[in-house]
Amino acid sequence: MTAAAIAVDGGDLSIGGGLLALLRPALTLLEPDGVLAVLSRSGSVAADLASWCRAERHEYLGAEDAGNGTTRHLVKRGRFGVQRAGSFDELPERADARTGFAPHGSVVEAGGPRYPFNLLERDRVAPPEVAELYEQAVAGQWSALRDIPWSTIPQHEPALELAVRQVMTFLAENELSALYVPSRFIARLHPAYVGVAMFLATQMQDESRHIDVFLRRANATGAPPAISSATTSRSLHSLLEVDDFAEASFLLSVLGEGTFLDLLAFVERFAPDEATAELARRARIDEARHVHFGLAHVRHALAHDETLYSRLEASVRRRASTLAGTSGVPAPVQDALTIYAAGGSEPRRVAAGHDAFRELLVTMHEGRIRRLRSAGFTAEQAAMISDLHTPNFM
Amino acid sequence: MNETILLGAVAYDPKVVTIWEGIRDYFNESGTPMDFALFSNYERQVESLLAGHVDIAWNTPLAHVRVKQRTNGASLSLGMRDSDRDFHAKIVVRTDAGIASLADLHGKRLAVGSRDSTQARILPLHFLRQEGVDLARVQVIPFDTDLGKHGDTGTSELDVLRALADGRADAGAIGDLIWVLEQAAGHIDPARIEVLYTTPGFDHCMFDALPSLSATKREGFTRSLFAMRWDDPTHRRLLELEGLHEWMPPREEGYESLIAALAE
Repeated sequence: MTAAAIAVDGGDLSIGGGLLALLRPALTLLEPDGVLAVLSRSGSVAADLASWCRAERHEYLGAEDAGNGTTRHLVKRGRFGVQRAGSFDELPERADARTGFAPHGSVVEAGGPRYPFNLLERDRVAPPEVAELYEQAVAGQWSALRDIPWSTIPQHEPALELAVRQVMTFLAENELSALYVPSRFIARLHPAYVGVAMFLATQMQDESRHIDVFLRRANATGAPPAISSATTSRSLHSLLEVDDFAEASFLLSVLGEGTFLDLLAFVERFAPDEATAELARRARIDEARHVHFGLAHVRHALAHDETLYSRLEASVRRRASTLAGTSGVPAPVQDALTIYAAGGSEPRRVAAGHDAFRELLVTMHEGRIRRLRSAGFTAEQAAMISDLHTPNFM
Repeated sequence: MNETILLGAVAYDPKVVTIWEGIRDYFNESGTPMDFALFSNYERQVESLLAGHVDIAWNTPLAHVRVKQRTNGASLSLGMRDSDRDFHAKIVVRTDAGIASLADLHGKRLAVGSRDSTQARILPLHFLRQEGVDLARVQVIPFDTDLGKHGDTGTSELDVLRALADGRADAGAIGDLIWVLEQAAGHIDPARIEVLYTTPGFDHCMFDALPSLSATKREGFTRSLFAMRWDDPTHRRLLELEGLHEWMPPREEGYESLIAALAE
């Protein structure tokens, strides 16, 4: 809001005694060329106000007697420091790199430096659902220390405990990539879309907590983490190379974390103890939120950019080609999931565990197709993309 | 013929290097080849301009008036800062010194800046004489700091304010800009120091050149100079350092009081 004329009562304040704290905000509210009347009973103001106006390029118009020992000074607001008022109500379609870290809608003085943000288009970065997802994330935070019944972990058969350690090691390694990938985009996001950065920050907090609980569970018996396979490493490395935010959301959240929802449901279902079941359940609820954001992001971006379909498809193909020659789920993970589902190493139970593992792969494929369809892909595209998805799950 | 403008400026502060390197880069990018040479004092800079060693000199009012006089008025004035127009000097006093009018300065201690400072010495004393103050009856305390810099550093003006605050002087002469900026910065106790008198306005710095400056250089210089904009982030930083919002065309009438003061 701006005004054409404003009056302030400066009492007996001098320029150096606090008058500026009344004068400057009043001038900011004025339109350029608007006039400010300053009532003053200070003798020095008459001498100093004109000099101050000269320094700040406002125009001192003069003074008149206002009676009772009061003088009315008139100041015309200059055109420098004229401020651009942002529209506060909605996110800008395209953000201005010169507004920097100024909160969206604030009055931004001209002449500031240009910031190196390059995610500047609302429809490519900020789905409308993000505010609600952020609120859900804040409400859904939990404690790795307090909310998992750690004391209930019994002494399992060594083969089963080893399987648990291997599954937890694998989960932690994948979650580390999910911690790092979003961080690469926060620094590039224009602060006008800070809601997205804030959501990604909750995602990173979630991943931190997951890494914490998975490693606590892996080390529950005092043993170190198990094997990290080259397949997993290669798969996660290829995620870090993605530079496009929508592509990264697609690969990490829609496909990777989407697939992890089914994996975590599996881990909860076959959990050998209450603590392991609870940490899988809690992690899956968090991951569902990340998948929801990824889907919203990709769906919203696809609605505004037809060419994104082919780019996403191409990025899945590119990633598949870097993983070519990798056959199937990393062996240590495959074996561990089988023993985990079997609940031990007794051969008949292992057969059932192996069936459960194969069933998991089918469930994951179906889940990916369902999510891809919901993002707007055709059945054919969805099936092809799901087939090309990394055998590492993430 | 070399069309690169060589500009002279006085290195009164390390920031002068930043300012002129920035302006040089901007000039060169905007199609006006320019470089600069720094001098340690205005006397040397004026002589170098008159000798043709530099094309343009960024001069204080005192240096500008000397160039005008030495060229019999033929020198070219090319531009000035908005802040160079309507400069004033102030006589500020301690509130406990018992000085209510200029006549009360008689018998009191008056701190003044360097003898080559237009705003803190030459013109305030000139205007006090015009107002009927007999300077022989005033104890003048001079702060001749940074001689040769013509008061650019502001050091002698800060010396004046310190002398007032410490009670080593009853009154002091300073420029109006430093007075309002020191107040805005909260460095002045308004209960102890106040303004007694504000001089009539006068103008400050000017870009000076000899009449032999080529039209190409003159036009290139003013075109690039006046195209600098406050809302351009690169320009704004330089303008802030140099203490202006906008470059202005030259005008000569603002130097009449200084010419008169130097003739006294």
